[in-house]
Amino acid sequence: MAKTAGGSGALESFSYDDAIVRLFATATILWALVATLVGVIVAVLLVMPSATEGVPYLTFARLRPLHTNAAIFAFAGNAIFAAVYYSTQRLCKARMWSDVLSRLHFWGWQLIIVLAAATIPFGITQSREYAELEWPIDLLIAVVWLFIFGGNFLMTLIKRRERHMYVALWFYIATIITVAVLHVFNNLCVPAGWFKGYSVYAGVQDAFMQWWYGHNAVAFFLTTPFLGLMYYFLPKAADRPVFSYRLSIIHFWSLVFIYIWAGPHHLHYTALPEWASTLGMLFSVMLWMPSWGGMINGLLTLRGAWHKVAADPVLKFFVVGVTFYGMATFEGPLLSVKSVNALSHYTDWTIAHVHSGALGWNGFMAFGMLYWLLPRIYQTKIWSDKLVSLHFWTGTIGILLYIIPIYAAGLMQGLMWRAMDETGNLMYPDFVETVQSIVVLWWLRVLGGLLYVAGVCMLCVNTLMTWFGRPSTYEVPVYTAAPLSKSYRDSKPETKDDEYKDVPMLDLGKGMSVWAKMGWHRRWERLPVTFTILVTIAVVSATLFELIPTFLIRSNVPTIATVEPYTPLELYGRHIYVSEGCYNCHSQMIRPMVAETKRYGEYSKPGEFVYDRPFQWGSRRIGPDLAREGGRQSSFWHWRHFENPEEVSPGSVMPSYRHLLDSELKFSAIAPHVKAAWHLGAPYSDDDLHNTEEVAYKQAERIAAEIVSQGGPANTMDRQAVALIAYLQRIGVDLFKTPEPENADAEGGEEAAAEADADVAEITAGAESATR
Amino acid sequence: MIRDLVSSLDYSVCAEIALALFVGTFALVFFAAFRLSNSATDRFASIPLSDQPEDPRSE
Repeated sequence: MAKTAGGSGALESFSYDDAIVRLFATATILWALVATLVGVIVAVLLVMPSATEGVPYLTFARLRPLHTNAAIFAFAGNAIFAAVYYSTQRLCKARMWSDVLSRLHFWGWQLIIVLAAATIPFGITQSREYAELEWPIDLLIAVVWLFIFGGNFLMTLIKRRERHMYVALWFYIATIITVAVLHVFNNLCVPAGWFKGYSVYAGVQDAFMQWWYGHNAVAFFLTTPFLGLMYYFLPKAADRPVFSYRLSIIHFWSLVFIYIWAGPHHLHYTALPEWASTLGMLFSVMLWMPSWGGMINGLLTLRGAWHKVAADPVLKFFVVGVTFYGMATFEGPLLSVKSVNALSHYTDWTIAHVHSGALGWNGFMAFGMLYWLLPRIYQTKIWSDKLVSLHFWTGTIGILLYIIPIYAAGLMQGLMWRAMDETGNLMYPDFVETVQSIVVLWWLRVLGGLLYVAGVCMLCVNTLMTWFGRPSTYEVPVYTAAPLSKSYRDSKPETKDDEYKDVPMLDLGKGMSVWAKMGWHRRWERLPVTFTILVTIAVVSATLFELIPTFLIRSNVPTIATVEPYTPLELYGRHIYVSEGCYNCHSQMIRPMVAETKRYGEYSKPGEFVYDRPFQWGSRRIGPDLAREGGRQSSFWHWRHFENPEEVSPGSVMPSYRHLLDSELKFSAIAPHVKAAWHLGAPYSDDDLHNTEEVAYKQAERIAAEIVSQGGPANTMDRQAVALIAYLQRIGVDLFKTPEPENADAEGGEEAAAEADADVAEITAGAESATR
Repeated sequence: MIRDLVSSLDYSVCAEIALALFVGTFALVFFAAFRLSNSATDRFASIPLSDQPEDPRSE
């Protein structure tokens, strides 16, 4: 940036940094291809579960998080950055503050993506949805996101040459702040090695934090930045200003204030306190209003320009993208209504909802932006307009072919799960039957996914060919402008302040009149640091109003005397369960509904999860719920099930986990897990803490003996499957244990024991009546 | 002392306070947005349409 003397102040010459936009645009396209390809692979694995048999790194449960992470953080993430770097510079009339930070951001983010791809398939995962990455990568994300990206962005705002911060910038500010807050607080953990951390939250509180994060990851990673993108690129492509700037302001503040509350709607009818779930539903329903306001604002920006839409594929992408935003944000509040959620939750309905947003809203807005950007950043015409059109139609048909069968699958399976005959028994007691009935719809999904990937391939070809047509050196326009003066006062409010000068009225009234002119709000909108603080207050205060009661009111998570920490072997078995990503297909949460208690047993209680770090309630049942799995099957049944699920459960879509039968169980690796759990408050005995290997080995020997006695192979005690079996046999059994009084001889010991027995009898009676 | 203070607080009103905060803020934002003059909103809305710095840059 060069400075030249000019008039009343020093004029500055500057140019926009489009090289960083080219980098992020290229990364967006490459990761779009990877994310959608992995998506098709996991869709194929559901209909052909044995396609990658024998390769533990390629199971559905390990690849599905890879797909979601690639789609959200690699594809959508890079699209956000391309949009932010292009639009921020132009909206601020300033180059990014630091080219070095821009490059560090780009390469740091790509490193994070590569590390994610290198760890998740190897079972290095927290198994918390969209927050799977382990703590060293989480630290890197915090640094790259907040300090490098956030710092560079904020400094650019401070050094801008446009007085007013356009609304798109507001959305970017909210994105940066909120994602940082969500990421940091959701991922607080105690390390148990370089590749493993235990969440500081457990059970109900972990679930609450995770879905506070999870839903807001959708809100502030997949919605607000894309709205910023919409408010910039849609007017650009249509060459007309946004329909209503007032509406955009209301849209922004409403989303920032409402979204943060909505997370608990992911936990309806679970062990989460009722008040939190209801609050989540209420705010989710309120989201309808601003979301549709935003959609209408986007679509009406094209008023009088619909003839352009017919001719311009970029606008077509935007129109369909904004329409899918409207659809998804209509359906989201609908799904948050408890009675609807009771049917939709754990089914493919949620998957269809997510994909209408991801493929339609995020995908098409990103594609529209890229097709608008490519000729500008490569300074040549797009290689083939026809191919852009073909991409649009292929993608649109692909989305419809994907979501319609999956909506049908979700509705069908949800209805089958709850269907009961006239005698009050489940009509489809065999879970596998409900899965088999939707497999044909899963095949259609594969077809839809393939069409969508075909569209992304067309984008890749078009980009490559356009890039070949670029000039040998890019032209870099240089602009000249003076910096903004530091002292600035509105001219209009000053003149209007005198409006009531000679009117006989109280000074208070005059003061109110000045205040109501909202000049103070206009000032806030010009002050990036103040604005950032205001957004932070909005997000944090809403969060605290939900968090404080959840964490401080003890009655939210009533403890159960018989619930004890997992033994060292069971804890390690749970680690294997988490590493394999079993939550991708199995829930551990029986809702208090007749159909569920009949199928799975007594409904889940908050106090049962106090040692569960992370919680594993899941969000999708491709296999049955496992909350009461303990003691349901023999240990040898589990052994055979891992070896070949089809053999003991015909029609199952679970792949073989034979590698657990072959892999050695390293007893020496168990101790760090026990120590981490102990640090977090699990009351382990000295023996558990100091003789961990021995304690675990003894339990493994007992399970190995059971397997032999049930007709299984000998010498299985040092196999990983044994640890997992130990965990599975423990899930959900503590509730029904008879508590042992601590001091039976002490005064009152007998009364305490009698009381405890009465409590258990009550719980057991409740369980029996629920399942009767 | 902090423990006594925290345990004596009644958190059950949190949801009601939160709702009141939201409604109040929403009303304020709505009011603020509609206090904007047409000329200001037109000017703000047209910011993305040009990459050129404009001078003078008011508001």
